[in-house]
Amino acid sequence: MDGQNGIPRALVIGAGIAGMQAALDIANAGFEVVLVERQPSIGGHMLQLSETFPTLDCAQCILTPRTVEVGQHPRIRLYTYAEVDRVEGKAGRFRVRIRRLPAYVNWDLCTGCGLCQEKCPAKTSSEFEGGVGLRKAIYTLSPQAVPKKPVIDPASCIYFLRGKCRACEKLCPTKAIDFEQRETFVEEEVGAIVVATGFDLYPSAELGEYGAGKIPDVLTGLQFERLLSASGPTAGQILRPSDGRIPKEVVFIQCVRSRDPERGVPYCSRICCMYTAKHATLYKHRVPDGQAYIFYIDIRSAGKNYEEFIRRAMEEDGVLYIRGKVSRVFAQDGKVVVWGADTLSGRPVEIAADLVVLATALVPDPDAHRLAEVLGLELDADGFFREQEANLRPMETDRPGIFLAGAAQSPKDIPDAVAQAGGAAAKVLTLFRKWGGGGPSGR
Amino acid sequence: MRRIGVFICHCGFNIAGTVDVETVAEALRKYPQVAYAITYKYMCSQPGQDLIRQAIAEHNLDGVVVAACSPAMHEATFRKATASAGLSPYVCEIANIREQCSWVHQARPDQATVKAADITRTMVEKAVRDEPLEALSMPLTRRALVIGGGLAGMEAALEVAEAGYPVVLVERSDCLGGKVAKLSGVYLNFSAGPELIAERIRAVRGHPKIELHLSTEVASLEGYVGNFRVRLKPAGRPDSEAGEPLEVGAIIIATGFDLYPMALLGEYGAGRYPDVVSGLDFERMLASPDGLRRPSDGTIPKEVVFVQCVRSRDPERGLPYCSRICCMYTAKQARLYKRLVPDGQAYVFYIDIRSAGKGYEEFVQEAMQEDGILYLRGRVARVFPQGGKTVVWGADTLTGKVVEIPADLVVLATAAVPSEGAMELAQRLRVATDPYGFFSEAHPKLRPVESLTAGIYLAGAAQAPRDIPDTIAMAGGAAAKVLALFSQEKMTQEPTVAYVIEEICSGCGVCISACPYEARSIDERRGVAVVNPALCQNCGACVAACPNKAAQIRNWTADQVIAMIEALEL
Repeated sequence: MDGQNGIPRALVIGAGIAGMQAALDIANAGFEVVLVERQPSIGGHMLQLSETFPTLDCAQCILTPRTVEVGQHPRIRLYTYAEVDRVEGKAGRFRVRIRRLPAYVNWDLCTGCGLCQEKCPAKTSSEFEGGVGLRKAIYTLSPQAVPKKPVIDPASCIYFLRGKCRACEKLCPTKAIDFEQRETFVEEEVGAIVVATGFDLYPSAELGEYGAGKIPDVLTGLQFERLLSASGPTAGQILRPSDGRIPKEVVFIQCVRSRDPERGVPYCSRICCMYTAKHATLYKHRVPDGQAYIFYIDIRSAGKNYEEFIRRAMEEDGVLYIRGKVSRVFAQDGKVVVWGADTLSGRPVEIAADLVVLATALVPDPDAHRLAEVLGLELDADGFFREQEANLRPMETDRPGIFLAGAAQSPKDIPDAVAQAGGAAAKVLTLFRKWGGGGPSGR
Repeated sequence: MRRIGVFICHCGFNIAGTVDVETVAEALRKYPQVAYAITYKYMCSQPGQDLIRQAIAEHNLDGVVVAACSPAMHEATFRKATASAGLSPYVCEIANIREQCSWVHQARPDQATVKAADITRTMVEKAVRDEPLEALSMPLTRRALVIGGGLAGMEAALEVAEAGYPVVLVERSDCLGGKVAKLSGVYLNFSAGPELIAERIRAVRGHPKIELHLSTEVASLEGYVGNFRVRLKPAGRPDSEAGEPLEVGAIIIATGFDLYPMALLGEYGAGRYPDVVSGLDFERMLASPDGLRRPSDGTIPKEVVFVQCVRSRDPERGLPYCSRICCMYTAKQARLYKRLVPDGQAYVFYIDIRSAGKGYEEFVQEAMQEDGILYLRGRVARVFPQGGKTVVWGADTLTGKVVEIPADLVVLATAAVPSEGAMELAQRLRVATDPYGFFSEAHPKLRPVESLTAGIYLAGAAQAPRDIPDTIAMAGGAAAKVLALFSQEKMTQEPTVAYVIEEICSGCGVCISACPYEARSIDERRGVAVVNPALCQNCGACVAACPNKAAQIRNWTADQVIAMIEALEL
């Protein structure tokens, strides 16, 4: 199947919703895909979500069939817990070196039985749970992880820290634990590359004036998402971290560091208005006698059925929208007091809240700088990958054969990420077909 | 006697944490026609699938029931495993004891265990009566029809054609380029619309794989994915005859949008006062070689009021949705105006400023700070002429004061609505739309470029209002789906479709009107109803409608369903 002018085989970097979609669209058209994901398993941020706007579909329920499809696709070669380390060559023939991080588990032997995770005595804060839940030192991101293979985190493993324990090694029925494992490198040759490295959230440690990190009942949107999730640390019950009580007044603050060139980023993060409306709606569904407040600057609900969704939040669920910025957040008598201004009435507002949820800005993946250098791509002023031309070439880069999908290019929501990933896949497929690869042509 | 194997998955603790899987296995081992039952930690894992394959061989099984998660997750996995052991994949059934049992009954493990055994027994009864079907194979026409020659349609057509497949591109008007060709400049870089897409138009016109039909529309559509037959006819001529049918395998709908009719905007003075114009009118005025002149007297307008959300976000008088593009194009128009008339003043009435794209927020900030465009948050109450001016009354909701601006020109950002005739086209193509006439996607999150009809895909504003980069992305996404479809050697289809027990069919034809997919017809010679399996989506409407119970669905027969119900012990 080798084409005349290039290798009809693609590398997709990042296996969130954009990367998975690009990989599936390419693989389903008959071409091989090498899919590299830094996390131990695929699915990206979408797997952390409880429900999705505007239909309130369960995120895991709609996504896990996709992760399974990717995991079992005969034409997708999956490298998780791995990163792209070096790229040489040009469109048609890129030589890619992939660094595989040591999992300290031999995945060829591991059956994913989960015994090691059950018995591991070391617990630490879970990144997947956004820090509001715990995981073991040997862990998978979720019970539905694809692949269903655990990794050992040396920073929390008792053996790595103190030189003894090895409980997982003793219990593993297939002798898959390997504390001697080292990072390895594999080489792959591909003809085209899709960058789908997604986004990260603005570090909450740098949100001092909102009390983030200091006041336990101030959460980020992603942490609140985990509280809402049926598979999250509270099994979907909304309980505030400080005392485990059900919060009766919740304040949601939008544009935390977004649209804020002085202290944060100048751009709009595009997804926060909708997910905050979703958060407030879901909160009201779980705590009908509670009150939700949303501080906003502009409500941006410009998608299919989005405006209608906001209207329902206001009119049916009684979510109170307050147009204005928050000036101060502080703890007082077991409450989190929020001071803000209502710019429509011109009056100051003070709310003694039980819980505060921050819609923090979307920022580029922290690895984007390194990866841009590896790929020879440019980033824009905000650190997102730069497209060749904003209007007509949003999936293309300055390097032929390298394309962009999803939030790696700029913040976007799930349907926009899926559509753009398909667009990037189409660019790849067109190249491959021109090189003479792929199945039958013509009528 | 059948020999059914039952494979019960623990799903780690997802099932086994609530359901006593060994008790379920024990109960099933005693059940008639079950030859083998076993549990395993993760049945979907490679060792789990191997276990199924080996058991089929060792125990001479002729049917498989996997009690595990929802069939949406792993039915394909287990059917593949069953097929690899030499059985028909269609004798493998999934008993959903996770989503429909363990996850929802965590508080009552004893009853969950009883229910899990019950669910599994029902699927054993179904498997006992399953036929060893084989997948149906259909021919595939590797040629695409793209409807609409705007940006979305051109982009989709080019992607498919560049990949080497023939494309029939149909455009109702007499030129390519759609709305973009009418723009004086696009955000963010102000390049003129016609220049922006000139290269695309040349590429479409010169492409050897693209067959272009201007001033043409779709007259009718028959067939199904991979095998559509479409007839075209001259656009806007109701009396004209449709042409010979063309065969295409896939269709991309890229019919774009229109603007809310100015004639229905009485309170803004649209149509009555010459200096009240639509956004699209203003684009043309901006591009005029004579410079910007207002329609009434040809003078240069020194005060221009832009009104956003005209009938958008307005469920009472207009449309409840947001038109997505107006905030940005209004900012762009105001900035272009300031370039042409530097000493002029531009005002923008808005509700919320929606600038949520790459560089968009910065663009609007520059409009305010560098170009001095005055944004007023509020609705416009009245527009009326006075002394050669058009006076705009509105409220500034931030100061709480009433604003009165004697403007030289008023520009209305009217709502984006589906392209004229979209509803009729949808009916002709048998594709679903939303209540406004935008084409419905198969899933709002994960399948935004697919329609609900197999083989018909969506690109651009035909699905919902969107701007140029989002349209380009979506058009590519739709093209990728077509490329995937065309890459198959042959098209396969599920064999679990409707069939007719001809001995008891009276040929009454009730099933024909019941079938929403036009898969039913009468064989006149034999006087019985028949099914076109390629069109049947196994919805069961004919089964319910048939007065003689002659209509059945393969592997979902009435006998099977009754036996499944009788297997329940709860």
